[in-house]
Amino acid sequence: MLSRVADSLYWMSRYMERADGILRMLKINYASSQDDIQEFSWKPVLRIFTYLDEEGATKLAHNTRAVLQYMVTDRENNNSVLNIITRARENARSVQDHITKELWQCLNDFYHTIRDEKMNRDLQKDDPISILDVLIKQGLIYFGTMDVTMARGEGYAFINIGKYLERGVQSADILDVKFSDRNYDFSKTDTPYWKYLLLSISGYELYLKTYRSGFDAPNVVEQTVLNEDFPRSILHSVDRMQRYFERLKSERNQEAFRKIEFMIGRIRSKVRYSTVESIMAHGLHTYLLGIKEDLYEVGNGLNQHYFAYT
Amino acid sequence: MQTSDLLNSYSIDPGTWDEMYSGLDVRGQYRGVVDFMQQMSIEELNKKEELAKRLFMSQGITFTVYSSGEGIEKIFPFDIIPRIITAAEWTYIEEGIRQRLKALNLFLKDVYSNQFILNDGIVPVETVYSCPHYLREMHGFHVPHDLYVHIAGIDLIRDHDGTFYILEDNLRTPSGVSYMLENREITKRIFPDLLPGNNVRSVTEYPNILHRNLVSLSPRQTANPTVVVLTPGIYNSAYFEHTTLARLMGVELVEGRDLVIDNHRVFMKTTTGLQQVDVIYRRVDDEFLDPLVFNPDSMLGVAGIMSAYRKGNVAIVNAIGNGVADDKAIYTYVPAMIRYYLNEEPILKNVPTYQLGNADEREYVFTSMQKMVIKKTNESGGYGMLMGSSASDEEISRYKMEILKDPRQYIAQPIINLSSAPCYMNGRLKPRRIDLRPYALCGPDDIQIVPGGLTRVALREGSLVVNSSQGGGSKDTWVLAEHSEAARSAIV
Repeated sequence: MLSRVADSLYWMSRYMERADGILRMLKINYASSQDDIQEFSWKPVLRIFTYLDEEGATKLAHNTRAVLQYMVTDRENNNSVLNIITRARENARSVQDHITKELWQCLNDFYHTIRDEKMNRDLQKDDPISILDVLIKQGLIYFGTMDVTMARGEGYAFINIGKYLERGVQSADILDVKFSDRNYDFSKTDTPYWKYLLLSISGYELYLKTYRSGFDAPNVVEQTVLNEDFPRSILHSVDRMQRYFERLKSERNQEAFRKIEFMIGRIRSKVRYSTVESIMAHGLHTYLLGIKEDLYEVGNGLNQHYFAYT
Repeated sequence: MQTSDLLNSYSIDPGTWDEMYSGLDVRGQYRGVVDFMQQMSIEELNKKEELAKRLFMSQGITFTVYSSGEGIEKIFPFDIIPRIITAAEWTYIEEGIRQRLKALNLFLKDVYSNQFILNDGIVPVETVYSCPHYLREMHGFHVPHDLYVHIAGIDLIRDHDGTFYILEDNLRTPSGVSYMLENREITKRIFPDLLPGNNVRSVTEYPNILHRNLVSLSPRQTANPTVVVLTPGIYNSAYFEHTTLARLMGVELVEGRDLVIDNHRVFMKTTTGLQQVDVIYRRVDDEFLDPLVFNPDSMLGVAGIMSAYRKGNVAIVNAIGNGVADDKAIYTYVPAMIRYYLNEEPILKNVPTYQLGNADEREYVFTSMQKMVIKKTNESGGYGMLMGSSASDEEISRYKMEILKDPRQYIAQPIINLSSAPCYMNGRLKPRRIDLRPYALCGPDDIQIVPGGLTRVALREGSLVVNSSQGGGSKDTWVLAEHSEAARSAIV
């Protein structure tokens, strides 16, 4: 496979995962904003997903419609869903001969949907949940089409490596920012706060089944970092990333493979053999930061050894 | 409004060959389509048109216009009513194109080697040497199978009496074939069952034939040669076509930056190291292909590719330097080439052409500018063109001044009143002028022309310019199978 093609597939996939994460985040936070008007602030969301400085974030923090507009359809916001989808589509466009026609059409439809002026208008006056649901569904069609139509070759491996790398980073980010918002105070029991955090990463039901008894910050950390069965946990993401990377093993390029295999293996061990207690002892922020840096390191490694073409 | 009114209100421009009507009668080949349309209401037709637009958009069959830093997706206008060519017309066209390509290919071989045709004075030496697309770099180099033109898009038009004329030979990187394929797919969606019912010949073989031909050119004797399509990149207006062809042939679509030359061989950069490339179907123009030999500023090409080509380590399709054969000044001599190389009479006619480099012809043209269309010899896409009939006196005299600066750069042709075909526009049927570009694939053993092509339409009323860059659209182009007509005339 051409290096450029692998690069584009990888980024298409990262952008689609990012868009999905942002949309889910927005939906649940919007719901949360309707639940407790006094306390709710968009600041943590703006800090994870935008490049706004403190001042800019403070200005927007309590204006729900403005936040939605800024994060979904604003052309000036480099990380708006619109711009992310545009980039995903640009990447897909340059590798149309490596993805199925169905997948391309689905991305292309997503692009046209979000660029429609109507989207922007509706976001200002209609029920935001309905609109976000339309977009989330477009994303689900993408994930489904990927699963049903794409050949399980090298390209598919790069797509999944990108997807799970992005997801791992995102889960680490969400945890970190949400806890920093609470000054890493683990003793505070703050039911709606953790409930909405879990909802935003589709982990609420699982949490109830696993822990039953009320909301407890260490349990939230445990599920989001260490639960193998939770599809958005860091451990699950790293596991998958490792699994798809193994598929790239070939006679050629052995040295590069070994280097990156080593990096991923190390992250996996680090997460696999952590406990909530050890994470707390280490300091949650430092721990998450370390994981993110390791994941970025893998990204750089891929860039250097698999994608370099210029 | 009922569709029968739609047909009744259709009026042909006087003195024009209409593809659907002969006088007041519907031509036999259009009977099936007319019957079909008569069963439909305007609302239904509007819906069909809407569906066609949506299909183009959602499949990304678009080109991007960049304005204020943002890309806007546009579709090439598509008219839902097909253009229909009879089996007899097609046989004639096919033979004519085959003959012409044979001669043009021989001309290229000759002009880059022995130059018999120049020595015998059939084509003037200065016309060849003054052509900017004549490349010294190609001289004395034998291309595989002596084949220069692998893919040709020959433009045909019809005059008021229905006679076909060759308008242009496109022998470099003719585009539009993806529209031949996609327009057909759209017709299948908007008019279910209409195609089989009318015995329309299929065009789907095109990518298979092309792929087979490309594989056969591989310089390496290997079971599975690496064939690639080379594109200038996603910002090129024909990018959609490049990816379509790569996808339909199942080959890699590469950009210049994906390729690298090592020891006069071409390699592509893959995730597992370098892989040798054997055949390149390039959609990058000659002058951008190799910055070491041609335009040094080119970012689209590959440094050193020309040396790999000359060493015979890679096949490039179409051959480099073909522009000398489809130059508008050389065009005049194609009938003479056919007589010279093949000892045959040309089947398809040329449009009479005046060389403005020739003083006598220039003088004649200058006295009758209103009846002429003036074209630049090295421009295409309808750029740099003057339609004498619609130009003001001032424009004409300004253009004359331009011509006098470098007359070799210009030719003149009497304005041909292109044939018209019905187009569905805002709920009405209107005659619009059309041309036809069939695509010919020349392999080592044969020349194949897929039964179909691109029919381009001048969408503006009265306009005779069909180029997409000048507001043209396109139609699905049907070539009917032989027996359908026999069967139909038996019924009639």
